[in-house]
Amino acid sequence: MKNPYYPIDTVVEDVITETPTIKTFVLKPVRPIQFKAGQFMQLTVPGVGEAPFTPSSDPSITERMEITILKTGKVTDALHELGPGAKVGLRGPFGKGYPLDKLVGKDVLVVGGGVGLAPMRALLYGLFADPSKYKKIVIKFGAREPAELSFRRQFDEWRALADNISLQTTIDVPHPDWTGHVGLVTTVLETEHLEGIDIVDSYALSCGPEIMLKFVTLKLLEIGYKPPQIYLSMNRKMSCGMGKCGRCNVGHYYLCVDGPDMCYDKIKHVPNVFG
Amino acid sequence: MQFIDSTNFERLLKKLSGEGELFVPVTEEDTGKLHIERVEAFPLPEGMSVEGFRTVETLKGFAQLLRSTVAEYPSEELDELEIGENIPSYIVVCARACDVAAMELVDKVQVEGEFEDPFYRIRREKMFLIAADCTDCGDSCFCNLVGRNPWPEKGYDLAISKVDAGYLVETGSERGEKLVSENADLFTVPRDGQEKTRDDARMKVVAKLKENNKDFPDATKMTEPLREALTDGLWNDESAKCVECGACTNICPTCYCFLLYDTVEGDKFRRVMSWDSCQVTGYARMAGMGNPRPRLGDRVKHRFYHKYDYLPISHGEIFCTGCGRCIDTCSAGIDMRAVFKNVMSKAAK
Repeated sequence: MKNPYYPIDTVVEDVITETPTIKTFVLKPVRPIQFKAGQFMQLTVPGVGEAPFTPSSDPSITERMEITILKTGKVTDALHELGPGAKVGLRGPFGKGYPLDKLVGKDVLVVGGGVGLAPMRALLYGLFADPSKYKKIVIKFGAREPAELSFRRQFDEWRALADNISLQTTIDVPHPDWTGHVGLVTTVLETEHLEGIDIVDSYALSCGPEIMLKFVTLKLLEIGYKPPQIYLSMNRKMSCGMGKCGRCNVGHYYLCVDGPDMCYDKIKHVPNVFG
Repeated sequence: MQFIDSTNFERLLKKLSGEGELFVPVTEEDTGKLHIERVEAFPLPEGMSVEGFRTVETLKGFAQLLRSTVAEYPSEELDELEIGENIPSYIVVCARACDVAAMELVDKVQVEGEFEDPFYRIRREKMFLIAADCTDCGDSCFCNLVGRNPWPEKGYDLAISKVDAGYLVETGSERGEKLVSENADLFTVPRDGQEKTRDDARMKVVAKLKENNKDFPDATKMTEPLREALTDGLWNDESAKCVECGACTNICPTCYCFLLYDTVEGDKFRRVMSWDSCQVTGYARMAGMGNPRPRLGDRVKHRFYHKYDYLPISHGEIFCTGCGRCIDTCSAGIDMRAVFKNVMSKAAK
């Protein structure tokens, strides 16, 4: 019988510094792990504990997995101390993953902020596997300052993949080295920045801090998206991953089994849904 | 239905005790309350009582231990589980209807569905339940308000009802039927009138429950009023006296939420599962200090919504069996029935 609480032995193969506070860990588990974009893993630092992360790597690669992590608490502080060769553990995948099937034939708007870009990269790899299946893929990434934009080394490569892909970045406040757009990520959701997206025939997916999700949702509703067209990567404490330990609920949903990406239509009635 | 006299019932328990650990309710001298105690040797303890109502302890602690190791890593066996043999079979005597029903509710979460908790499932399979009618009720008992009866209807192996100098016995599982057929010499056919004696006794307890709870609303109809009474004001008022001790969730037979944490044991690591309480501040707090329920009122409200709104949506039933232990244990005197009364009056406005 498999023990669902046992972490699969995993080795850290490489550590990539993305920003001053964000690192990507390249992990090799003892056996391949299949996951869908948007599903999450529980990553164990031995003796310290587990924390939930959505892989940022290509879901078609099962031998290795990349997880991009902000240093922000007990487990992530310990992770940031680890280098190549360190032993960790993985459980999962858990959750539903992004609704990729629904996106086929649609305009897709991807809105990420801060470390929220990490799960969005797995979504992008999923979309980039065959960009022609979608009408437009419009990506909006925001961060506080230029140095906090993860994956920026890959942006030009992604833009060049297909004609229907666009990627715009923005930073919250002006910076001497920055010539691009300045303003919160909601400011690049104004119609003139949306590359002519047909909102009626589109889905918007967003991941980022709770406060960002709140204002992105309000902006999306303002420009014409309806709640069923909006998917949000919700933030709650997820532990068991199986809907049993009880702490990651949004209303009657457990994010660990029903999410973590939730259709806004399902949760819009929940009081204080954004905390 | 069968009849077994008291002497033969003790013989049956003695026989059963050879197959596993035997637990019975024993009256605590000072308080008159019943506690679950393990029978180490026969004869049965003097204070054992089949009469009365629920014990102080619930059944959940048998299936979901207060604290238990769920993984040791890294391990040579990788992640294969071999825990079954190490868990002894056990027999719990005089489990009351509220507690038997509560286990069936928790089963829905821990065993049914996409994932099962193998530790819980195995401990549950090792449980042999002899349920019993309540012959009385406590001041805090309110099973009648959640649409239940003070006698067990399913979920047991055997069920006993005290009549005359023995018990009427019903079987509720294959294991129960097997036990009765293998010990047929201990049982007799019930005499005329014994079933009526049982039913009359049951109705007396129902009448007392109704009388005790006559001022409180029907808790099966709380979901809608709860949704209408979403206002923070109500929950801030209800939580004003709460001291955040978590006793209500620990003592609740349907509260199953747990915490996983890791410890270092020499050159190995241990993953521990322990009971947790949604009433404490850190329960849902995330790294970076984000907390969806930062205020006590939010957490007290969550306890009610989880049992009376969220779980009925996902599992089809209210996760409260009216045992009333949360009322007995609350040092602030918070009474779920009174909260519902306030919710009803708030919703009516």
